[in-house]
Order: sequence, then structure tokens, then C-alpha cells
Amino acid sequence: MSETAQSTSAQGSRDRTQRPMIALQNVSKTYPKQDSPAVTDLSFEVPEGAIVMLIGPSGCGKTTTLKMMNRLIEPTSGRIVLDGEDVTAVNPDRLRRRIGYVIQQVGLFPHLSIGDNIATVPKMLGWHRNRIAERVDELLHLVGLEPRDFRDRYPRQLSGGQQQRVGVARGLAADPPVMLMDEPFGAIDPITRERLQDEFLVVQQQIAKTICFVTHDLSEAVKLGDRIAIFGQGGRLEQYDTPAEVLTHPANDFVADFVGSGAAVRRLSLLELGRLELEEIVVSTGGAPADGHPVLAVDDAGRPARWLHLPGIAEQTPMVTVPMSGTVYDAVDVMLDGRAALVVVVDDDGAPRGALRWDALVGDLRPKRRRS
Amino acid sequence: MDSFLAYLSDNQDELVFYARSHFLLVLYSVGIATVVSVALALVLHTNRLTPPSWSRSLRSSGQEGLLLAFSAALTVPSLALFGLLQPILGLGTQTAVVGLAIYGLYPVLRNTVAGLSSVDPAVLEAAKGVGMGPTRRMVRIQLPLAAPVIISGIRVAVLIMIGIAVVAAIISDVGFGELVDDGLKGLGTEGAFTDVMVGTFACLLVAAVFEIIFGIIQRFVTPRGIRV
Repeated sequence: MSETAQSTSAQGSRDRTQRPMIALQNVSKTYPKQDSPAVTDLSFEVPEGAIVMLIGPSGCGKTTTLKMMNRLIEPTSGRIVLDGEDVTAVNPDRLRRRIGYVIQQVGLFPHLSIGDNIATVPKMLGWHRNRIAERVDELLHLVGLEPRDFRDRYPRQLSGGQQQRVGVARGLAADPPVMLMDEPFGAIDPITRERLQDEFLVVQQQIAKTICFVTHDLSEAVKLGDRIAIFGQGGRLEQYDTPAEVLTHPANDFVADFVGSGAAVRRLSLLELGRLELEEIVVSTGGAPADGHPVLAVDDAGRPARWLHLPGIAEQTPMVTVPMSGTVYDAVDVMLDGRAALVVVVDDDGAPRGALRWDALVGDLRPKRRRS
Repeated sequence: MDSFLAYLSDNQDELVFYARSHFLLVLYSVGIATVVSVALALVLHTNRLTPPSWSRSLRSSGQEGLLLAFSAALTVPSLALFGLLQPILGLGTQTAVVGLAIYGLYPVLRNTVAGLSSVDPAVLEAAKGVGMGPTRRMVRIQLPLAAPVIISGIRVAVLIMIGIAVVAAIISDVGFGELVDDGLKGLGTEGAFTDVMVGTFACLLVAAVFEIIFGIIQRFVTPRGIRV
């Protein structure tokens, strides 16, 4: 199972370019009048186009690390290299205009319209008015807000979730190669947060930014991250690896402790159904059972209706489905919820593509042969 | 009533002169008080303007100390203050303007400081994070957000000054103070009480004019996004 988890995860394929966009070299930070450093001799690289999640207990220096990247906090020692350029000594304001920055409290400018908020950096960079207006509309579309309705509204007229969408749009405004996000979804209700996370991944597929993302939520880190950097006390980097690797092979006791007992279950959310070898099922219009495969009746639209024959399962089991785009975690959720021993995996049109049995979870989950 | 109207028409030119000078006296004074207080508040509020070698506690105690000094100035009896200023600045309008301005310092400084520090720290962090320098942050973000509170402070200063401007008549000859002063000196004689009364009510009129002007300014400077 552990090997399967690694090879089926999407992570490996997403950061295929290994050119580092951000590199921290022996960075340390000791705050004035404090004996112990907040960040100790930190070195790691963020590959171009990757999402790196910085996670750890509170006071572990993850936010300090993030803020040193755009020099809201100056490192005591060490170098920070952005896209090949040492930025430890450049003008911090100019540097920040090249880096998107999104914070938990959003911090929209209350006296400026949504459009003007998003236009902040392009205006400072001296873009032409028409270009700014176009960019604002484009970004509002990107984050799922209709420009006509939102451009001229003010921050206080928006919900928390909408405000953070605008916050992300403002961070993206000047098309910076790098985005720094400090718990951007931390103050948002769980349902909206889940939706924002999903949208965030969709947006990232289009924009392919290099993103550093601070979170204290392991599920979020596993869901969004191409890589996870786990920080321990004193800002020491305990492990820096793909989510699957962190969950299956914690580097030390600290990480194992942090990842906790739920690691095996969390790992299920890394297994995408689309990449698994699913059990074959037969769609029948009422004929005889076929050589040991489950047989399914479909409705007029081709969607699964009920089981006709289930080899190896004694009782009648309810019909439950899960979309192909989901993960094994979703499949388990559906099965537990419906008290079903197996679940039909359906494609976007609702047509059955295969089945996943409860037994297979503790047995052998086989990845598909890679097509590409 | 007839005699009152007759009084007004008899003294029309004089009353218009007093009204104009009273209004201008307060206007100049509040202008000076505003410039001085807002400048001082900016100096003490912006890290860039106070030497970075000053510790945080020194910066905030600088602010507190200034507020304390200005509030102390507010408690000095106006009659005494003009008396104290007279040997330095002499008799005349300049002394009246300076004296009045001193009474305006505290409310303007207090409200400017309150307005600037009422700006949400998250908003300032975001401003810094998108690459706004200290000056731009102050001009584009903090001052517009603090403006309504600062204007309220200026309004309070104006109301205080309109009353005290009457006392300024002892060292200058501008404003309705002249009228009240004349009236008080000649109490018991004919028309003296009318002088005092007209002087007092005319102050209310000047206050009303200022309130209308500031009502318009306040509406104008309050950004739409923070209007309730």
C-alpha cells in the first residue's frame, strides 16, 4: 500500500521542473531581545511551479520563514535567492511588488473598491489604465466573481470567502511568479474553505505559480501541497518531502508525532480514483451473470440504477457512486455513509467506469499503467 | 422687538465686521492648530520619521508626553493665557490667533493619533506586503481611513475656539468679543445688555456656519467604502 501511495500520487508529476524558484541558504532569524532563534540555519529549495506547504506547531517559525521571503522580516543571517537573484539586499518594496502576498485576515483596503484593491500593484508599476481594467476583470473571473457585479463594490459588502477571493486576486494582479500565502483559508468556515481549496487547485493548474503556503492544518497541507515542509521548535526543518512520503515515512519521531495516528487514513486522500485499477463491472440489460464480475443495471441515461448480481457478497448491498475525479478517501466516505460493501466509480457523465470494494482497501490497491 | 431690530439695522456694518473677523480669527487659528498637530502626529506615528534608534516605548511615550502637554495647555484659563502671551507677542490679532491655536492643538492631535492607530493592522500589513513604502502607505491608506476621525477633532477644536475667541477681545479688537466686552463694561446703561446678548447669539451663528461647512467636508473626505 505504501508503495502504491507514492506511485499513484499526483505530486511527483506536478513539480517536474526541478529549477529552484526560491532557495533559502543557511537562513537564521533571531528576534531582538530573544535568546533562542525563531529560525535556525534553514536551507531548502522551492521548485518552480510547485506548491510548498509550510506546517508545524505554533511558534515553529513557519510564518517567520514566509515573511523573510518577501523581507517583511529581515533574516539575521543567510541568503534568500529568488529566481537566481540574491534578494537579501534589494529594495524591499520593489521586491514585494514581484511577489504575491495573501494573509489570513485578508487586509483589503476598506476605502477602495474591489477593482481598485486588485489594481494596487499594477498601478504602482505604472501600467496603462486599459491594461489594468482588463487585468482586474480577468482576475475576478479567475477567482469566480462576476466583474460586473463586484468590480465597484466595497470590501465590507462581501462575505469572508468572497473577500479572500479578492485577496488572492490582488496577490496575483501583477502576475508575479511567486505567491506567498499565510494561512489564507484559516479564518473561513469549513465548507467554504473546502470549496476555496478545490478552486485554488484548479486556478493553480492554469497559472502554475511557485507558491509557499503556511498552514497549521495537516489535511490542507496534504490536499494542496506538492511538497510539505514540517517545522519543529526553533524553526528547524524536520522533513521536506512529498505528502505521500511524509505520511508513509516520517523522518523522525517529531514528524511521526505531528502526522499522528490518522496518517493512514489521510493517505487515502492522495490516492486518486482515476489512477487506480478498478474492478471490472458488467452493465447488463437483464441477461445472465457474466464470468464473476458484478453486474449492474443502468437507467435510460446510462447511470447506475441497481445491482443485479454481486459475486462474493452475500447480502443485497445498496447502490452508491463516487465520481472518478475523487480520491479513495471520498470512496470510503461514500461506502461508510451508505453501508455499502462496494462503490461504483462514475465518470463526469455519470456512466459507470468500474467498482471499488471495501476489501480492496486492506488488500491490494493497484495503480493503472501510466498512459502517458 | 422693534428696538432689537432697530439695534440690528443701526449696527449693521459693525455686526458684519465682527462676524467676519470672528469667523476668520477661528479659521486661521484652527488652520494653524491642524497643521501643527497633524504634522506632529505623523512624525510620532510614522516609524520612518522618528529615528529608528528610538525604542518603541520612547516613541509611544513621546506621543503620550505631547498629548499630556497639549491637554495641560487646554486647562490654562483663557484670560490668563492671553495675559501671558501679551508681553511676548504684544497686543493684536497675532496674539489672539496664537492663543486660540493653542486650544485647538489637543483635540486635533488626540483625534489624529486615534484615527491613525485605528487603522486595522492587517490592512497595513497587506499594504506593506504588496510593496507600498511608508509614505505611500500613509498617504494612500492611513490618512484616508483616519480622515473622518481627524475632521471630527477639528470640529471640536472649532467649537472650543469660537467661545474662547470672545475672550481674545481683551488683547485684540476682533470678533464679537468686542461687543460682549463693551456690553459688560457698560452694564446698566442703555443697550449694554443687548450688546452682550447679540454677541453671544452671534457666536452660535458663527458656530452654525462652521458646522455646515464641516458637515460638507466630512461627507466629502469620508471614503464611500467606509461610510455607514
